[in-house]
Amino acid sequence: MSPYVLLIISISLLLGTSLTLLSNHWLVAWMGLEINTLAIIPMMTYPNHPRATESAIKYFLTQSTASMMLMFAIINNAWMTNQWTLSQISDQTSSITMTLALAIKLGLAPFHFWVQKLPQGIPLTSGMLLLTWQKIAPMSLMYQISPSLNMKILTILAFSSTLLGGWGGLNQTHLRKILAYSSIAHMGWMTIIILINPTLMLLNLIIYIAATLTLFLALNHSSIDKIKSLANLWNKSTPMTIVILLTLLSLGGLPPLTGFMPKWLILQELVEHNNIPMAMLMALSALLNLFFYMRIIYVSTLTMPPSTNNSKLQWPHQQTKTTNIIPSLTIISSLLLPLTPMFITLS
Amino acid sequence: MEMMVVFLFSVLFIFGFVAFASKPSPIYGGLSLVVSGGLGSAIVVSLENTFLGLVVFLVYLGGMLVVFGYTSAMATEEYPESWVGNMVAFSMLLFTLFVELVWYFMSGEVEVDTAVELFDTVGVYCVGQDSSGVSLLYGCGGWILVLLGWVLFITIYIVLEIVRGRD
Repeated sequence: MSPYVLLIISISLLLGTSLTLLSNHWLVAWMGLEINTLAIIPMMTYPNHPRATESAIKYFLTQSTASMMLMFAIINNAWMTNQWTLSQISDQTSSITMTLALAIKLGLAPFHFWVQKLPQGIPLTSGMLLLTWQKIAPMSLMYQISPSLNMKILTILAFSSTLLGGWGGLNQTHLRKILAYSSIAHMGWMTIIILINPTLMLLNLIIYIAATLTLFLALNHSSIDKIKSLANLWNKSTPMTIVILLTLLSLGGLPPLTGFMPKWLILQELVEHNNIPMAMLMALSALLNLFFYMRIIYVSTLTMPPSTNNSKLQWPHQQTKTTNIIPSLTIISSLLLPLTPMFITLS
Repeated sequence: MEMMVVFLFSVLFIFGFVAFASKPSPIYGGLSLVVSGGLGSAIVVSLENTFLGLVVFLVYLGGMLVVFGYTSAMATEEYPESWVGNMVAFSMLLFTLFVELVWYFMSGEVEVDTAVELFDTVGVYCVGQDSSGVSLLYGCGGWILVLLGWVLFITIYIVLEIVRGRD
């Protein structure tokens, strides 16, 4: 991609999220979301084949619908309460419409259908931006309106997201689709806790972004998009198999890795608020996610799939792709569990 | 009498929306956009917001749609597709019914207390808000103007980048 185009897209992506995060007027926050949507479309259509164009169209249509609903909620709120500040939404219609609009933007079930196949048509780097950077701005809006959200709607969104994210990913063999389902499930975990303790939602978001970034960058380094392509990874670059192992187990929520921390704290908050059935159902749905992560780890790290004897003799060439950030991200996404007391005191 | 006129305008407004949402050739889409835009600004003017109606008429219809019409005329085909079939007419009536129902259920009595209405949260006297708001955009709202300029720039840049296709 031409460096001028990449420069303008990067500036606009940073600008959009920063506008939404730093604004206190609803129109400016909405404008930031729109800038984000617009700026990522050329990155998605960059490989000019029809699958990429189809993914870009799906993304644009769903995000535009969600922005339209959000604008309706904003104007309704301005009409009812006569002010445009980014705080609680006192009007019930506006609050519910805004919740649903942000749910469409994030890809929560039952609005998750666009997330399922979309990352498959676009390159790995665009999918990475889509599933990590584009979640920050809507999540910050949900954080700011969190006292006025409706618990019934949030519970339905969260529980169906974790279930459908887990179940849908069970039959997938393409890694980008697996990461899409993982995103749906993690958004569900974030949504369940936002009324009770919004800081835990932010913690979950940060750890999810770190782990997903690690995974995407490791897959991008080795240019892998199917599970069967992981078969020879032990030979091509063994450290990458370790990175994928640690990151996937962390995403699955296993102690003693970092990914256990948000799940543990969320379940603790749910139980402390006497919501034990919900905590149980969320924990059981997370097992579905762990199953397809384990399948990936089984193929890449735990076993050596059959191959010819020639392919077992890989000459260790000098690597030309940079992997500067992968070790740091791996450490963040797998070794931060002992810092849990620090994260608790942040809330 | 006035309610009847506003009702008629809103019905024709929705007709115009269905007319371009049914995807005829862009020339006919621009024609129905002109109809819809004109009627929408007429509705806004009838609600005593003359500035907004005139600005939509001038800038949207007189600026953007004119440019759109010229570019569509340059890129048009020999026999542009017009509105065909009964489905368009049926959808027009159906969507008009939906929108009028929504309008009916969302309308109601709003308490207007004149003494409170005229001051906004900062305490600025705000009759004739729209025109003074636009002048504020060029004054103390200068950074937002820069932002708007950037957004317009990236819109055209991104559209050109998407339409570019292969090298």
